[in-house]
Amino acid sequence: MSDHFAAFSFVDRITAFEPGVRGRARFAVPGGIGAFPACLVAEAVGQLAAWIAMARIDFRGRPVAALATETIFHGDVAPGSSLELEVEIESCDEDAVAYGGGAYVDGARVIELKDCLGPMLPVQEFDAPEALRERFGLLCAAGAPGGRFRGVSVPSLIELDGVAGQSARALLQVPQSAPFFADHFPRRPVFPATLLLDSQIRLAMDLARTAIGRVTTTPLVPRRMTHVKMRSFIAPGQAVELGAELVAGDGVAARTVRLSATCDGRVVATARLDVGAGAG
Amino acid sequence: MANTEITKEEIQAVFPKVAETMADALGCDVEDVKLDVSLIEGLDAESIDFLDMVFRLERAFKIKIPRGKIIENARGDMPEAEFEQKGVLTEAGLAQLRTYLSEIPAERFGNPMKVADIPRLFTPETFCKLVIHAQREAQAAA
Repeated sequence: MSDHFAAFSFVDRITAFEPGVRGRARFAVPGGIGAFPACLVAEAVGQLAAWIAMARIDFRGRPVAALATETIFHGDVAPGSSLELEVEIESCDEDAVAYGGGAYVDGARVIELKDCLGPMLPVQEFDAPEALRERFGLLCAAGAPGGRFRGVSVPSLIELDGVAGQSARALLQVPQSAPFFADHFPRRPVFPATLLLDSQIRLAMDLARTAIGRVTTTPLVPRRMTHVKMRSFIAPGQAVELGAELVAGDGVAARTVRLSATCDGRVVATARLDVGAGAG
Repeated sequence: MANTEITKEEIQAVFPKVAETMADALGCDVEDVKLDVSLIEGLDAESIDFLDMVFRLERAFKIKIPRGKIIENARGDMPEAEFEQKGVLTEAGLAQLRTYLSEIPAERFGNPMKVADIPRLFTPETFCKLVIHAQREAQAAA
């Protein structure tokens, strides 16, 4: 099976859409994978927005992840779940798409994206426009066969120095090759922003647990991510230094972590993560 | 609508919210966002930050700001071919830009000046004007 439209594609069937306005879709999370982290749920919502936006401009451009003002994590998604995706397009033209959306499992919201913006780049730099057009037709008709996604091998983090309970640093070595690069994107492999965010969340949660985990009897969870800004692409094989710093929060057991990602001394991504006690 | 019609009072009226929005986008203290600071050279803004600032200003002021609106506003009614040629401002285009960005000291304008370098001139005041223009256009359309 080709990895294109499989290794990092999270829309099986578009069930309803108005070009450039809104859309709904489904994705069946394969049961055989180890986990389906929240960042991939966000990726699924973003991919639905990308399909609706690309169709609006007849696949001349494709949006790339750039800004996500607020992402609220409502619940986990277990392998084997059926995701219902929805997006509302605020604006869409040849330059950018602005949107919000969410995902549901059995009617319960699991994630909410607010005020996201993706600049449109020439589609032919990333993929074959005719292949995307054909795929969109399939997604809107019978839908793609399920079970294509085989999970993703998340790069491990190498711990660097930090200040105990205050900040942490880690090295993320992006693999030179991985199945998802064939899908994201075939003509220009880019490390997915959502996988970077997943790594940043892991680093932030480790920091938060050491800093405030002992003052709460329920496990800490990521509640909300804000100010996500992707400044440049991360290529296969690049070394990314991740930074996490605890800043003021709204209570002893609820804190904000300021996140950064740097390549060759240049900041490539920033975000903030609100961490707090889970439902228990 | 001509830039000269924007008063200092109008700019001061929107500046606090513009400064707050920009500080949030740039991750800096609001006190660092002076009316006349260069966004690129003084506050390290990059192209993605401009996109972010415009996106935030749209929501903060409930206005629409099309991409490239600052340069479009600067050009005004002047035909594009008179404003710039092959990515470089003409003499007339440069004079038009100086009039529009009247708050920018003359020595900061290049001559010749590439259209791509215009954002290097931008200050928070430039964005205050952008907001005021958008507000006026929205009122005119209502």
